[in-house]
Amino acid sequence: MLSVKDIVKQYATHRALDQVSLQVESGKIFGLLGPNGAGKTSLIRIITQITAPDSGEVLFNGERLNANHISQIGYLPEERGLYKKMEIGEQVLYLSKLKGMSTADATKRIKYWFEKLEMGNWWNKKVEDLSKGMQQKVQFVATVLHEPDLIILDEPFSGFDPVNADIIKNEILELNKKGATFIFSTHRMESVEELCDHIALIHRSKKILDGSVDDIKSSYRNNTYWIEYEGQYDPALESGIFNVLQTENIKDKTLIKIKLAENRTANEVLASLLPHVAIHRLDEVIPTMNDIFIEKVKGQDHE
Amino acid sequence: MNKILLIIRREYLSRVKKKSFIIMTFLTPLLIAGIYGLIGYFTYKGIKDTHDRIAVVSTNKTLTEQLASNKHLDYQYVNKPLEEVKKSLKQSHYDYVLYLPEFSLAEPKGIVLFGAKQAGLSLNNRIAGDIEELIRNQKLKESGIAQADLDQLKTNVDIETKKIVEGKEESSSAGASTIIAFVAGVLMFMFIMLYGIQVMRGVIEEKTSRIIEVMISSVKPFQLMMGKIIGIALVGLTQFILWIVLTFTISTVAVTVFVDKAAVKKIAYETKNTKVNMAPTTVQAAGPMGDIQKSLAGLDFGKIITVFLFFFIGGYLFYSALYAAIGSAVDSETETQQFMMPVMLPLLLGYALSLSVVTNDPYGKVAFWLSMVPFTSPIAMVVRLPYGVPTWELILSMSILAAGFIGTVWMASRIYRVGILMYGKKTTFKEMFKWFTYRA
Repeated sequence: MLSVKDIVKQYATHRALDQVSLQVESGKIFGLLGPNGAGKTSLIRIITQITAPDSGEVLFNGERLNANHISQIGYLPEERGLYKKMEIGEQVLYLSKLKGMSTADATKRIKYWFEKLEMGNWWNKKVEDLSKGMQQKVQFVATVLHEPDLIILDEPFSGFDPVNADIIKNEILELNKKGATFIFSTHRMESVEELCDHIALIHRSKKILDGSVDDIKSSYRNNTYWIEYEGQYDPALESGIFNVLQTENIKDKTLIKIKLAENRTANEVLASLLPHVAIHRLDEVIPTMNDIFIEKVKGQDHE
Repeated sequence: MNKILLIIRREYLSRVKKKSFIIMTFLTPLLIAGIYGLIGYFTYKGIKDTHDRIAVVSTNKTLTEQLASNKHLDYQYVNKPLEEVKKSLKQSHYDYVLYLPEFSLAEPKGIVLFGAKQAGLSLNNRIAGDIEELIRNQKLKESGIAQADLDQLKTNVDIETKKIVEGKEESSSAGASTIIAFVAGVLMFMFIMLYGIQVMRGVIEEKTSRIIEVMISSVKPFQLMMGKIIGIALVGLTQFILWIVLTFTISTVAVTVFVDKAAVKKIAYETKNTKVNMAPTTVQAAGPMGDIQKSLAGLDFGKIITVFLFFFIGGYLFYSALYAAIGSAVDSETETQQFMMPVMLPLLLGYALSLSVVTNDPYGKVAFWLSMVPFTSPIAMVVRLPYGVPTWELILSMSILAAGFIGTVWMASRIYRVGILMYGKKTTFKEMFKWFTYRA
């Protein structure tokens, strides 16, 4: 649905984006990751047509990005704000009309959303009378109200308490089920694992990782397992099958971390151990997105 | 285009609905009307105070002439006995009774002024002066000088100003033009300042409340900036028109309701009365005011208002674009100082010079250049206008201003679109110049 091709964005002395390319599939939740200042916001600003790239292009459904696409994109920026003195209902109405909706349509949908998110009596309230979390809700409604095909959320959960964060997460999943595509910029990895289908990691203006969450995770598997057992075995058994990286004794049980030798499988390890010890547990060590993120970013920094 | 209309609508309505706008709009005309009321009241009081009605009871046979009324004193000869007049003084419309007994011209004695209140020193002096003049004239007459010669002793000089416009003479008054020039100049300065700063505040508000990014993802920065500028211009025009209408209405209502009709009639009666008996000097004294009224009527108000509106819109666009650029470059209002100075300076300079140099010499070189340079022309030109400005100068000045505001709007929009997304950086002029070259 969205393809970003070789984007370069140069500020006076600083290159914010350097030859960045991305492919966002329709109906997916795409995670745009990266440490602060990596260039995520610059990229989002280009997709939302706030700024233009110095070179490269962005295609939206195969078409070069243009003003007609504004109504098909919803954007919730990280730095949020509303007109303080304006009434909530009027404000959301204004924002959705700027996205090209008619007054009647917008009013109907605002009522629907306000009802849904338990904001029913907020219409005449002023923004300055709302708490920060309440303002976030209003803003979320303003972002999705015009039923955009592509919804871009920049750190959507910052500022929400766990209850409201959960409500918003469910709304995101529901909208996604109905067919909306999301780009989700964050550096909070828990939410990435929960929500995202696909991620791209940007660091120092460059894309350093791109792929589906499952693929990335499995590519970061390095044949390491935790095995918990009771009893003793002859260390000679290990030769050619696995290496013990770490041993811990917990009461009468032993916990070892092993790395498989080349072309060996966990089954072979079990087969060799089973006659000698009682196996209680075998877990594959799968890196979390957080580990991958840190490893990738640090690895780049050392180069 | 539809989006710009939406923005204009919001900017306009959100300001017009504000309490402060409504209060300002209704209070200011009340204030103006109040000031006019006070001026009127004091003028009326002034006339009343200095205009005492005096019943003259004369048993004098020596004086052949009577005391003549003037703008301060109204003498009425009464053919009744002194005692009777004195008794009925309170019921009568006279303030004082002047008794002129028979006396010798060399030694006038026994003149008495009766009154319910103690006559002030100035009143005493005035009456004494009038009687002295009467006696002097009597003496001159007795020494053989004819009345005709006496009348000729006094000479009045009155200069009428006329302006030659395209060969025709036009009755004019330096006074009237100056009044209009001042009012127009002050109004123009006030409006540009007031509403220019409102534009700046609006931009800063959008920046500090962080709504700007949401807005800019829906509309172009230029649309947002122009929507704001035009919306606020309409607020200014609304306020201006309301002020004029309300001031006029309130003044009219106030005059009919508050000023007691009898008093108005009385003044009218007295003025009529005094005019009849007025000495030639007093008729001339009223002259300049009458002239101002005459030449106020002679000024082409349609043209002045049209030109004023053009320069108001032009000057406002010119400056408010600069203010918008300033607003976009800072994070809060306290940071605006360093940028405000260079924008305020030409406006202040234009204001000061227009009201001093230009009103003194509306056709001079300074006046000409001030009314050509777009930084000062909105004020200088409306100040010059009542004195008469050649059409070609007017058109040239308007064209320069139009080009000027297209220039500032273009320049400002380039700074604006970068500035609104910049946070936490202390902006310098050098920085702003750099933004200029960025690609949108």
